[in-house]
Formats: sequence, structure tokens, C-alpha cells
Amino acid sequence: MVSRRYYYYLFLMSAVINIINLVPRVLIFTRFDGVFWSILLAVAYGSLTMYMFTRLIIKFEGQGFPEIFNTYLPKGVVIPLLILYSIFWFVAGSIMLLSFVDITLRFISPDISARAVMTGFLILVVGASRFKTTSILYATEIVLLLSFPAMVFILIKALINPAFNWDSVLQVLTYLWTKPKLVTVTGASFAFTGYVNLAIFNRSFNNLTLKLRHFWLVPVSGLLILLVTLLVPIGYHGSIGVEDHVYSWFSTADSLRMETFIVERVLYLFYITYLSMSLVMVVIYWHVGLELFKGCFNEKEDKKDSGDKETDTGKKSRKNQWIEAILLFTVSASMIYLTERINQVRLAQAGQWFLNLRFFSETFLILLLMFLVWRKRRSARR
Amino acid sequence: MTTHRASNAANWLREKLTEQSDYEEITLGASSQIQLQYLKSVTNSNLVFQYVVVPSYEMADVEAYEAYIATFPGTGKADDLQKLIEGILEGYTLVSIGPNSYLFNSVKVESSGVGEAINEAIVQGPRDAFSENIEMNLNLIRRRYQTSELKVETMTLGSLSRTAIAIVYDQERVDSSVLQQVKDRLKRVKIDILQSAGELEKYISPHRFRIFPNMVVTERPDRVVLNLTEGKVAILMDTTGFAIIAPAVFTDFFSAMDDKIQIPLVSQFLKLIRYVGLFITLTLPGLYVTFASYNPEILKSQLVLLIAGSRAAVPYPSFMEVFFMLLMMEFLTEASLRLPKAIGPTATTVGGLILGQAATQAGLVSNIMIILVSAVAISNFVIPLSMMGYTIRVLKYIIVLTAMLFGVVGIMVSVVGIIMYLSDVRSFGKPYFRLTLWESKEKVGHQHGKS
Repeated sequence: MVSRRYYYYLFLMSAVINIINLVPRVLIFTRFDGVFWSILLAVAYGSLTMYMFTRLIIKFEGQGFPEIFNTYLPKGVVIPLLILYSIFWFVAGSIMLLSFVDITLRFISPDISARAVMTGFLILVVGASRFKTTSILYATEIVLLLSFPAMVFILIKALINPAFNWDSVLQVLTYLWTKPKLVTVTGASFAFTGYVNLAIFNRSFNNLTLKLRHFWLVPVSGLLILLVTLLVPIGYHGSIGVEDHVYSWFSTADSLRMETFIVERVLYLFYITYLSMSLVMVVIYWHVGLELFKGCFNEKEDKKDSGDKETDTGKKSRKNQWIEAILLFTVSASMIYLTERINQVRLAQAGQWFLNLRFFSETFLILLLMFLVWRKRRSARR
Repeated sequence: MTTHRASNAANWLREKLTEQSDYEEITLGASSQIQLQYLKSVTNSNLVFQYVVVPSYEMADVEAYEAYIATFPGTGKADDLQKLIEGILEGYTLVSIGPNSYLFNSVKVESSGVGEAINEAIVQGPRDAFSENIEMNLNLIRRRYQTSELKVETMTLGSLSRTAIAIVYDQERVDSSVLQQVKDRLKRVKIDILQSAGELEKYISPHRFRIFPNMVVTERPDRVVLNLTEGKVAILMDTTGFAIIAPAVFTDFFSAMDDKIQIPLVSQFLKLIRYVGLFITLTLPGLYVTFASYNPEILKSQLVLLIAGSRAAVPYPSFMEVFFMLLMMEFLTEASLRLPKAIGPTATTVGGLILGQAATQAGLVSNIMIILVSAVAISNFVIPLSMMGYTIRVLKYIIVLTAMLFGVVGIMVSVVGIIMYLSDVRSFGKPYFRLTLWESKEKVGHQHGKS
């Protein structure tokens, strides 16, 4: 069982990761079309869903979705639900991996084959997503803390740079009073999505409580992160020019220079920081996907396989090993297939679809959890 | 009946041992009622002479003498043949007085006394190290830990070596699940010969693929005592000057006993230095491969040109160069370890100075590579406990390999991979690698004064 702070790491990790690919694009796309009100709405909606989801799942202390579903829902509903959500989580990780392969080819090693990069990533992600749930939380904390100074440095470096054009930022700010758009709200609320991983990671928490004196940090930091995500690229590329960049934040980092360091371009610092964080994030997503999928085959007693008992030696049953191996092999094979097939446009489209679907499926999850809590109460009363 | 049994014991023993050249049998007393049997090589004959032979002539009465022997500290009745032979092999003397026989403790211990810690030398602080004698080691610990809560449980391991093992822990602070696991695993050990603490560490580790040491093997009593206060379990072993501490966490391997002595700011700095050393020794060879061949654009152009210029004469790719030089360095370290003290320095001089100098002039390796290899070697030795040092020595090759295949991406992936792997390691069910900065106060309330 782990300390409460790991819950906030889950949130923070996915919030800072956002600036890589999907979210800045959607924000910049609607920068003249109500982006600010959309951000505010997304912050309100995101924090609210996060709060509700967490309050609801706390009721099932130390249990993940498979155990909860198997207890309170009929078998015929559980399996499709778990498979659907497992696919969801795998897709989330896969989009991140695919975009990072693309970024690597574009910014770091243009002459290496995409499949080689993907294979390298997959070795780590496949290996690590089979680890114990708590282990992944520990690694998240360490990677996040190691990356934190670099992130702060890059941000300060970006903001104090004389080349940062505050006029462009002010120009975009004049579009404050425009009507918000649903697509921006769904995109921006993705910054808050880290909490959904409690679907499995709740197994590691037994004393999770939400206190308002900690929780107010969530909307505030979410708002700041979203504003930075939108405005810093605009400050560098101009309010019009910014839309020419696919990975606007990488282009922004590439505009910065560390004059007195042995590495001159900030891009590389940015790249390695965000590479390590997104690898951990993909591990988190795939771990959840894997455990959800395994949940279809196991009754709730098999929960200890996730290895959260202190004395656990980490041995898994033969059946679970086979399920993991087959599933991960299938996913990896399709990822290697996809790396060569998918191009930037289709990846962006898929990402947009994913963002929208995610918004509604998360809302559905909260309704489902409400229903489950109601059933739990009713069965407890009997 | 008893007469029969006692003379039986003496006869049985004689039959068993008569072939041994160091077996000795003495008959004492006027009426030849007293008989001594022992193995010369493991018996302290002074003890036997002073406390067994001399009194037998001073006391007129055999009954008085028997009472004297029976009440002598460390003496027990010999009524079990299995215990009897074990006792004799350990160094006890069988004293048969008429019908009764006694095992008199006359164990001879050859040990070098309390020496100075060599492998974990420190600047200030206690210098004594464990010796080969378990009694003396227990004494070293007891002297530093004077509370009745300190429990010592003994057992023997090894069907042939019969090595004495002592499990030491603070009853109040110890983590009972860890203690239970230590005991269970020790019970499961089935071997013939047990000679060193490292060996024992290997036997009680879970049989899985592992690269990081799971327990601390130390020669310093003060480290053991410090860890006992933190609720850990120490395993002491006879015939070796090392103790095992379980469970261990990653940071244990980066703490020297000096850290407690230094001014807090200084000790924090020293700790930081060790982690920087770890990072350098792990990644520098890989980074060189990356910067020389894979992603030269990352560095400043002057630096890249410097590396490229220094490599101008080298006729093969950078990873070959790195592997060559790293291997040479491993050979040097290994050779200087095993060589006798007298020629050790020669080897280092020949290897380090001449080889390095000549190799660059011949254009086989670049100058920068020589600097890098020495930096890697030196920073590797910053790690205070050698077991972790060995692990890191192996681990850096993995990073070179991934750098060779994927460049800077490979280095990052393997660093994240190592972090993830470390997070998944458990030592006796305890997380091995995890930040405890915010927990140390609330949960581990006992660790007073832990820096």
C-alpha cells in the first residue's frame, strides 16, 4: 500500500505530458475561437470529474475495476466492458508511442528506421507494463522528480527570453470573449485524465482521501499548465505562424538556446525529459490495459497477482503469463505494423477521435461508478 | 547400565577416530579412572592441561574431581553419540570419569583478532572490522548495542562445514515479516560447505534473475549496529569477517559510515557526489558513442570537432574503441586485485600509463577516450560498497550497447528501463528503490539521527 501522494503524481504526470502532441494542437487550432472559455470550462469539468471519480472509487478500497465489476455486475456485461476499456487504454498508450516515434525521426535521428525506434520503445514498455502496480508508481515518482528541474528550467528559459513575443499573446487574449467549443473542451480536459488510471492503481491505495486543502492545487495547476501549453508556442511562432507546426512545443524548444552549456539546443533537453516521462506514461496506460484485460479471465481472488502484497515474490500464475504474453505480443506486432503505415495526418485524426471518445467514455465511467456504489450500498444494507 | 553406556561412548569414539593422526587419548589418575579423548588440531591443549589434567592430580578424590568437571562452565554431559562426535570435531574434549563422560569445552580458535576495516575504510570513526570468529563479532556488536532487546539466535549451516550462523536483531524494532523470511530462507539452505558471507547471500536470495544486490555484505560492526537500530536483521557467520544485513534498499549501498560523522551539509554533498559518480560511470561510455557516431549535433560544435579531431587517426567505429578500452580497464582492475602486493603497482603503471600513452600515439584510441575511461573507472570506485560497484560495472555495458544501436534515444530508454526495473525489485518484500523523503518522519519513527 502506498502513500497518498502517488495519486497526485498520476495526475501531474499526464498533465505535463499533454504538451507533447494532442492538446496543444487542438488548443492552437481554436485559438481565435473561444479557447479561453473552453479552457476554463475544461478546468472546471476536469477537476469535477476527477473529484467525483476519486470519491466514488475510494468506496472500493484497494480494488481495481476488474474486482469491482466482477462483484457487482453480471458476467455478460463485465467482459465486454473490460475489453472495451482495455482497448481504450492501449490506444492511449499507442498514440503516445506512435507520436514519439514520429518526433524522434523528425527531431533527433532522421536516418534511423521507424521500426527500430519503435522496437526500442516496445522492449521497455512491454517489459515494464508487466511489473507490479506499486512498482510503476515508485518509478513514476522518481522519473517525475528527475524531470521536474529540467521542465522548470525550460519554462523559465522560454519566458525570460527576449525573443518571446508578448504582443502575439496579447493579440490572442483579445479573443477572450468568444464562444467556447466542445472540441476544445474535450481536448483540454484531457490534461486532467490521469485520475482514470485509478481503475487499476486503486489496488495500491488503501488510505486515499481527498482533502480540499490539497485538491485546490489540481484546478490551479491544470489551468496554468493549459495556459502555458497554449501561449508559449504562440509567443515564439506568432499568433498565425503557430499553426504551421505539428509538434508546436518541440519547435518552441528548438527556438531556445543554452549559450553556456555543453548542449546548446534546448530541444535535446526537452526531448529527453519528455521522452522519459512519456515512456513512463505509456507504461502506466499499458499496465492498466493489461490488467483490465486480465480481469476478464480472473475472478476477483486472483487480484494478488498484481503483486501488491509486501511479501509477494512477484510470481504469476502460468495462465496469467500466457494471457500477458499473447496480448502484449499482439499489441506490439500491430504497433510495429502501424509505425510504417500511419502518417502524421492520420495519427492526428486518430488522436482527435480518441480525445472526443475519451471525454464521453469517462463521463460514462463516472455514471457507472455511481451505479456501482449504489449497488454496493444496497447489498451492504441487506 | 550407565557404566556400559559411558565406556561405550569412549570405545565408540576410539573406533571412529583411531585412524586420525591428530587423535589423542590420555589416561589420568592413579587408578586410571579418568580418560581424555580429543582431536589435537582443533583443541586448545593449554586449556586441557590447565583445567583438566592439573586438577586431576591436585584433587585426591575422584568424586570431587568429577563434580569439578561437571560444573565447569561450558561443560555438558555426553549422552548423545551424534552430539558427541560433533563436539569432538569442533574441539571439545571427552572426559570419561568412571561411568560418566563429559564434553569439556576446549575449542581452539585460530583467528586474526580484531583487525582494521580494509574494504570499507573511512576517514574518521571506528576502525575495527569483523574477524573470523563469530564470538568476537558478537562481542563487537554487543559492546555497541547494550540492550536486552538485542536478540541473537544461532544455527548451523552446511552439512560438512557446520558453520555457525547467528541471526541478530533488535526485538522491538525488527520487522517481523522480514525476520520470518530470513529464518525461513536460512532453513531452506541445503549445502555442504559454506565459507563466505557472499555465498550465503546468494543462497538466501530468491532464485530469480537479478543484477542488483539484495542484501548488504559488510565488514563494519558500526554499520551493522546502525542497521539494527533501523529494524533490520543481521546475519553473522563464523569463519568469515563479513556480516549480511537484510533487507537492503538501493540507497544503503551509497551510504558510507562517514556520513554520520561529517557536518550535515558536507555529508549531503558527499552523497550527491556518489550519485553523480554513479550517473557518470553508467552513462559516459554510452554518451561517448552517441556523441562520436550517432547524434553529434547534440553537443556544441566546438566540442564535437574536438572529439572528431581526437578520433581522426582511429581506424574503427567509436563503439569498438569504447569496448576495447573498457575491457582493458576491467583487465587492469581485475589484475591489480589478484596480483601480489609487491607487483600490483607495476601492473597499474604499465597498464595505465604506458598503455594509455602508447595507444593514443599509435592512433588506436583517441585521447578523449583515455580521459573518459579513467573518469569512468574512478567514478565507479566512489560507490562505497563493492557489491554495488560490481553491478554498476556490468550495467554500463548495457547502456553502451543501446547507445550503439539507438543513440541518445537508446541511452534514455535504458536509463528509464533501469529506473523501472529497480522500482520492481523487492528485498525481503520491501521496495528496493523508492523515495522516502516525505515518509521518514511519520513511518520510521525509530530512525533517530539518520542523515
